Formats: sequence, C-alpha cells, structure tokens
Amino acid sequence: MLILLWFLWDASSAYWYEFGISQLWAAEWYPYESLYGLLPAIIGTVWAMLIAMLIAVPCGLAAAIVSSEILPVSWQGWIRLGMEMLAGIPSVVYGLIGLWVLLPWLQYTLDLLTGHNLLAAGMILSLMILPTMMVMSQDALRLIPIEQREAAMNMGMNWNQRLMRVLLPQAWTGIRSGILLGLGRALGETMAVMLVVGSLDRVPDPIYNILEPAQTLTSRIGREMGEAAFGSMHFSALMACGLVLAVTAICLSLLAQQKRSFV
Amino acid sequence: MNINTNTHIKEEKGVESCALPSYVRLENISLTLSEKSILKDVSFSLPATGISSLIGPSGAGKSSLLRCLTNLYDNWQGTISVAGINTRSWHGGDDALRRHVGLIAQKPAVFPASIYDNVIFGLSRKERKQNQSSRVERCLTQAALWDEVQDRLHDPANTLSVGQQQRLCLARALALEPKVLLLDEPTASLDPRSKQLIEASLHDLAKDMPILCVTHDLEQAQRLQGQVIFMCDGKVIEIAAANDFFEHPERLETREFLRWSVCDCD
Amino acid sequence: MKVFLSLLALPALLLPVACFLYIIVQAFPALDWELIVGSSASSGAAGNLFGDAANAGHGLWSQISGSLLMMLLACLLAAPIALSIALFHALWASPRQQRMLITLLQVLQGIPPIVYGLCGLVLLIHLLHWGISLAAGGVILAVVILPLLSSNAIHALQRIPIEQTESAKALGLSVGAMITRVWFPVAWSGMLTGLLLAMARALSETAPILFTATVFSGVLWPDSIFSPVTSLQTHIFYLAQEGSNAHVIDVAWASAAVLLGLVICFSLSARLLRRYEESS
Repeated sequence: MLILLWFLWDASSAYWYEFGISQLWAAEWYPYESLYGLLPAIIGTVWAMLIAMLIAVPCGLAAAIVSSEILPVSWQGWIRLGMEMLAGIPSVVYGLIGLWVLLPWLQYTLDLLTGHNLLAAGMILSLMILPTMMVMSQDALRLIPIEQREAAMNMGMNWNQRLMRVLLPQAWTGIRSGILLGLGRALGETMAVMLVVGSLDRVPDPIYNILEPAQTLTSRIGREMGEAAFGSMHFSALMACGLVLAVTAICLSLLAQQKRSFV
Repeated sequence: MNINTNTHIKEEKGVESCALPSYVRLENISLTLSEKSILKDVSFSLPATGISSLIGPSGAGKSSLLRCLTNLYDNWQGTISVAGINTRSWHGGDDALRRHVGLIAQKPAVFPASIYDNVIFGLSRKERKQNQSSRVERCLTQAALWDEVQDRLHDPANTLSVGQQQRLCLARALALEPKVLLLDEPTASLDPRSKQLIEASLHDLAKDMPILCVTHDLEQAQRLQGQVIFMCDGKVIEIAAANDFFEHPERLETREFLRWSVCDCD
Repeated sequence: MKVFLSLLALPALLLPVACFLYIIVQAFPALDWELIVGSSASSGAAGNLFGDAANAGHGLWSQISGSLLMMLLACLLAAPIALSIALFHALWASPRQQRMLITLLQVLQGIPPIVYGLCGLVLLIHLLHWGISLAAGGVILAVVILPLLSSNAIHALQRIPIEQTESAKALGLSVGAMITRVWFPVAWSGMLTGLLLAMARALSETAPILFTATVFSGVLWPDSIFSPVTSLQTHIFYLAQEGSNAHVIDVAWASAAVLLGLVICFSLSARLLRRYEESS
C-alpha cells in the first residue's frame, strides 16, 4: 500500500511542486493553458456521492428491513440471490443503462439541453450501491438474536417501537459500515459515471446546480489519461487526482474498520 | 366442560388461595405447530394471588403454553381470559395484553444500553424523559438486584453476570407494572445464589399478583409453594397444592415422574 | 410505518430487476450465435476505423476471448500469491500481524480500481516499457482482485475446525503434509468459491484496463502477451462513447448481455458451490 502511495506521489510530485497544495481549491482546469485546479472535479465527486447516498441509503435500508422483517423467510433467499447477482453487474453495463435510458428520460422530463449531469451520475451510482447497502444492512439485522426481538415483544412494544428502539440501534454498526463501503464504491466508480456525467470542467454555477454537466475525479482520469503524454504536467496532474482519490478511499475504509472494532 | 375427565382437578380442597376468584382462566387450549400437536385441551386457572408452578418433562408444552398466554403464538384454539376479559378481544391489542401480562424468557436478553435504561426500556417516550429513579429503585429492589447495582446504574447492562441479567429482565418487566407474571424457567442456568434471590422476590411479588412459573426443578416447585400444575405431552395430568402434590400424588403418572423423572402418559 | 417503508423499498427491489430485464430485451435483436463466435476483424483489415468495424463485422469473439484471457492471466498471477498470503496468515502470523493483514487487505479493497490502473500505467507501461498489452492488463487486474482473493482464502482456512488441525499435529504430520492432506481437502471448495468470485470481478472491471491493455478493434488474437487485446468491457465502453446509429446500439446492448451472462455464470457457480459446501 505504501508502495502504491509512493508511486502516486512520485508521479504527481511535479504537479505538487509546481503548484502546491492550494491547487486543490483552484477552480480552473484547462490543460492546454497549464491550469490544473482540482476544485471542479472534487465538487463533482462530492455531489455525485451525496446524491447517490441520499437515494441509496434510505431505499437500501428500507428494502433490507422489508425483506428481513416483513416478507416471509422463504423469499429472503431469492432476494438475496438477486441482490448478489446485481452487485456483480459490471459498472460499464450500468453506464449503458445510464446513457441510453436515464439520460433521455431526464432530458425529457426536466426539459434540459442535455441529460449529462451530476444528477444522472448520482442516480446511476445509487443504483450501483443499492445492492451493497442492502446486503450489508440485511446481514446486520439478521445478526440480532431472536431473543432480543422476543424480549421486546414480551414488553408489549409494537412493531415500530421494536424497529426504532431495538433493531436499528443494534444493527447500526453494520449499517454504518455498509454506508461507508457504499461511499467508497461511489467514490471510486469510473465507467458508469464517465458515461453520464458530461465531463465539463467547471465549478457548477451556482454551486448547488446539479443539472449541469460536470466532472468527477474518476471520470477525469478515465477521460484524459489517454491524451496526456507521460512526463508532462498534465500527466502528473492526473496522477494527483489519483492520489487524492486513493487517500480519501483509504481514510474511508480505515474509518469503517475503526468503527467496527470500536463498538 | 369436562371433556378431559381423566384429569383430576383437586383445586377445591387444600389450597386456600383457590378460594379467591381466579384471575387467569384457560379453557380447552389446543395448539398445533407445523402439524404437530403441542397442547391438547389444557384447562386450569390461576388464583388472584400466589405462585403456581408448572412442571413436567421437557417437550411437555410448558413454554408453548406461556407463549399462547401472551399471544406470541396466536393459532391456538380455546379460551383464555385474564381478569374476566378474553385475551382475543383485549382492549388495545396484543401489545397492551403483553404489558398487562409480563413474560420473562428463559434466556435473559438485555438490550445494549445501561442498566438504568434497560429498566425503563418499555416505558413510553414521555415517561422515559421524566426522572424515573424512584421507579427504577423500586423495580430493582423487587427483583433483588438493587444492592448489587445501585452504584453503577449507568454501566452497560451486558457487564452483569447471567444471574444478574435475569433479575434485570425481571425488573424490566416489573417496571411496566404487569398484573400477571409468567416466568419460563427463570433459574434454569443460574448459580444457587441468584436462584435463591429470585425465588425470594417471587414470594414477595406473589402477595399481590398471580405468578406462573415454569420449572423443571421439582425441589424449586416445592420451595415455591402454592399450586402445582403437572403437564405431560401437552396435557394437564394433575393440579394440586404443592404439599399434597409431593406427598400424596393422586395419579400413577405423577408418581412415576416424581420417582424416576420419566413420564409415559399415552 | 410499514407501508411507508414498503413504498420506499419498492424501487430498491424492483428497479434493479427492471434494469436486468431491460438489458435482455434490448440485447435480443442483435443477439445470435454468429455474434458470439464471429470475429470483428475478419471482415476488415487491422486498425479499422470505427465506422467500418461497426458496419461490417460485429462479432464479439475476439472481445470475449480477450476478456477471458486477461481474466485467466490475472487469476494465474493472483491465486498463488493469495494462497501464500492465506497460509502465512494461518501458520506464522502473530495475532497482531493477522489483524494488520486483514486491515491492510480491506483498505486495499477499498481503493478505487482506477488508481491501480494509474499505478500500472506508470510502472508497467512507462517505466518498464511493456506497452499497452495483455500482460499489463493481467498484472493490473491481478492486483485489483488480490485483496478479495486473499481474504476469501483466509476465511476458507479459518473455517477449518481447530480440532482437525490439532489432531493432524498430534499425529505428527509435517506442515506440508498437514496442508495438503488435512487443510486442502476441507478448504478447497471455499477457495474455489473465492476464485470464481474474483474471476467475476476481474471480468467486470473496466476502468483499470481501459488505457493500459485494450484497444478498440483490430486484434483478433493477441500475438504475444505484450500485444494489445480487445476486451468485452472496454468494447462496450467504446461503443457507448461513439455509438449513434441503431445497429451499434444493438451491438452494445448485446455485448452487455454477453458480459452479464459471463459474470453471472461465474457468480452463480460460486453461489452453488457455497451451497454445496454448506450442505456437506
């Protein structure tokens, strides 16, 4: 892992030496004019992750609760099988769906110039992390012993109270690591995002405008890697994107582990 | 009414408390789980105060009977009435019934919260917001746990020993102020001291509420006094006051069970 | 509350299934046997421009074989390493080292694959001058699946009952004999499950090989491991990027369906194997 980080650092050092850390907040990215600000891509990434989580967390959690607490046991195996299969669908296939199903639909319903935007990226990401989210939460719910449920029933707590006061608090650790895992996946997902996000290097204006084409860190790397010559400033700027990604991902997964071992 | 004529009910003589009106009454309860008959025509009643011990070999349907009483199993046939009200048409549904009839499981299941929070776990949100320390103290004292935990009420409850956890479960049920208490082998896996403490607190509690205690420990049934209900293979074999039951068992099956702990009632 | 939750859960349960069916339906018109075994390069010279390739040959055979080759290479490279990591974990690592190893594997698993792709690009292609090649793709995919593979192998070994290990030791078996005669017969199915899952993963990864191993077309069968290949994943991507006419879109959907079929084959067989393992 250290070797990996060192590589990224080494390859991007030219960039950092040239521009310094402040470049993280610079808003301009025009490779042909030697402007390499990372801000647009970072904002794009954050937005895409946020949208994805906003959709996937409640839906995934609800689906987990419904499938493990409401539906009959015999269905659970099938739902789980389906979810595991879906978690295995290659991201580029999701990208296809995004590109040729979601984009025209968004363009039509929201009356936009182009469907390529952050909202679409977020929606596709949420579709991708839903299965992960759901499988993790379902596992967490299933780990709660039956005695706990019965003890709560014996105390005359109704279904809602049992859910809110017994099941969710106890499953929370598992659910949280599901969320962090999903975040990590959303952060690192390249292909699907690249196809739908529009790849426009600009800070959204205003900043909460998610209906404009934008760029994420991963889509930038994927899109421009082929064009950048090895050793050029452009190349090391892209490596810097990679470094930012790797560091964030490492922090996320360390966080997920920390919490798990702590509670 | 008397379909099960071979069941000898000695309720009328000997037990003083039976003179009082019965608080819980079960009539012809039958239960079938996954095509297996668990309970067959069980009828008995609990007096308004005092302990009743439910004994019998394992698999006799004792625990299932308790679960029928609080509608945890709800496909039983027959009539159960508590305080003269049919539990099927209990005002407020099963949840209200379960608050009225406290059931304590064999294995203690404490929630991952502090001891204090565990005791008040079943109360409504509004009640939990108020200061409940007097209620907590009362319940813990009733469950014979107060002396051991009064200094560490806010420690996590799963640091307690299993015996203490079982008493905590008792206190938690008592906090809801149930009018009937059902216990499913409350001392099955406990150390002698916890056993003794729980029996003592049951004696205290039984002064003003009916308690039904499932046990497979005959000596415990003897110590608890009150009435003894002997069940085997889903049927009630004999009901008698504890002393009569152990000294002059009426039925052959009972005698066999008391002597060799075997039961053959088919 | 129940109703609310069910409403919330409905899209989560139905949408993915809908997507799945949609892909199949879309792929149907273009999906036939010739598509799978036909080769895209057969009808045109190597280095076709896009239009030619799309209009003339639309077979996917070279893409499929490229994907499978790369996957095999990745598994061949990663499996021995993963096995030795698992054996190290089970035999020699102290509890502290074990914990660190698990943490490290999970962190590595959390790193986006594209980052591995970047590292591979710098190291293999620019510093070692392998060029855009099958070998580079294989190595990078091997690194991507290594954490998954090793943690699965570790779990497979952990499931061996401790009594078996102890009685093997009590019989005086050497470490080598213990591994081959006691552990392996018990753990092989778990390890194979892990391998199948890793294969599915290697098949579905696109980003890291996009600019390190694949080209769009013109390769029927790689001459050596240092020549570029075509792969199904990236093929879909290129089609999606450029595609505008209906035929290309059909082909893209069909490729997606083929890829999906391959991935699901692997993960389903992993699942079956796990069930078999649990039942025995």
